[in-house]
Amino acid sequence: MKKLVILLFCAFSAQAEEMEVVGNVESKCIVTPDTAGVYGNPTPDVLSTDPTDGGVDPVVRFDVIQASMYKARILYPTSFSESPALNDVVAWTGDVATSQVSDTGMSGYDAAKVEFDNVTEFSLTVAGSTWFKTETQADYGYGKAFPGGVYRAVVSAECIAI
Amino acid sequence: MSNVLPQAAGLEVNNVVYRYTTDKVAEDAMLVHVQNENAQGPGYIFRASDDWSGLPGNTISKAIPVGGIPLDFWGDGSIEVEGFGTVLDPEVYYTYQYLPCNTPQDNPSCEGYIDPLTLIPETEVDTSSEEYIQAEIDRKANLQAQKEQEEKDARDKMAKATEEKVRESLEKMLGLSLGASLQKEQDTLLHNALVSTNYLPRNYLVAISGGEYPDAEPLKDSDLPDNAKGRRVNFAQQLLHQKIVQSQYD
Repeated sequence: MKKLVILLFCAFSAQAEEMEVVGNVESKCIVTPDTAGVYGNPTPDVLSTDPTDGGVDPVVRFDVIQASMYKARILYPTSFSESPALNDVVAWTGDVATSQVSDTGMSGYDAAKVEFDNVTEFSLTVAGSTWFKTETQADYGYGKAFPGGVYRAVVSAECIAI
Repeated sequence: MSNVLPQAAGLEVNNVVYRYTTDKVAEDAMLVHVQNENAQGPGYIFRASDDWSGLPGNTISKAIPVGGIPLDFWGDGSIEVEGFGTVLDPEVYYTYQYLPCNTPQDNPSCEGYIDPLTLIPETEVDTSSEEYIQAEIDRKANLQAQKEQEEKDARDKMAKATEEKVRESLEKMLGLSLGASLQKEQDTLLHNALVSTNYLPRNYLVAISGGEYPDAEPLKDSDLPDNAKGRRVNFAQQLLHQKIVQSQYD
């Protein structure tokens, strides 16, 4: 008696794949320069962006899509990025405040702002656009006249995720 | 809104953008409504409210999409304040869109524009027909009459102007100001001046003799006898008439 033995071999090929997962995160907070600042020179020893001194306050706009996720950090300048040679001390003062809001709830930002050194922080608790203006003033020496030339300074604005 | 939005057919408003500044005490309650009445019914077609209660004043800038509301619905706009505080420097802008060629006849450059002059059918005129000739004759006659009338009007106008000029020069010469009031002294002076320049016809100055013209004697009633001669003539006339009538049958 013959026995037929059929052996079936099933071949399974072992294979591995790696899949890439891609994500693109776009910031929900956008910082846009709105108005360029201009220094006025009301007296020889003062440079000021105050409109009453002939200057223009720089304005920056923060657009926040999601509320309470970001804070705005704005730094008024403490040095010139460009100026003639200065051989005396420059005293810097400044202030940052909301100049325009897109929601009445943002009107409370000024009362809740945090200030230290030349830094001002605002918690952006309302979705929408907020315009912040920065007043900055530079006093040279002790009533000493600024040398003639071009002066530039930088206001820094950044949006930080909380 | 007719003075704000262009009255273009098919115009739709997409967004309302507004900005204003509030001046208020932070603790006060204040509600600001930016609104437009519904021109097609009661209420408002657009109304945005900002609650400033318990907040310090600031400048607010908002852009609100309204989703293409047709022009016909936009009534008068206003900013209403409830509570305490004032609104300063308000500005409201409307963004809109419309199809310039929504009605092709609005602009000759639109596709589908039809020149209205092409729609007027041209009629052929038979210049040899009697009607045409008569119409031409009438037209020329009318033109001639019109021209004559114009010339006559011009002559009348010139005559009137000359008369006015003479009158004015006389008034100036006499230092008068006649105007509406015809005072006796001024009239007398003017009359004398007109007489002295022979402006008035001489027969104006001829005196008519006056006096009394009594009625004539009236006829008294009496017995008037018949006129025998008149009767005979009358009879002769009758006979002649009968004779003539009879002659047509003889």
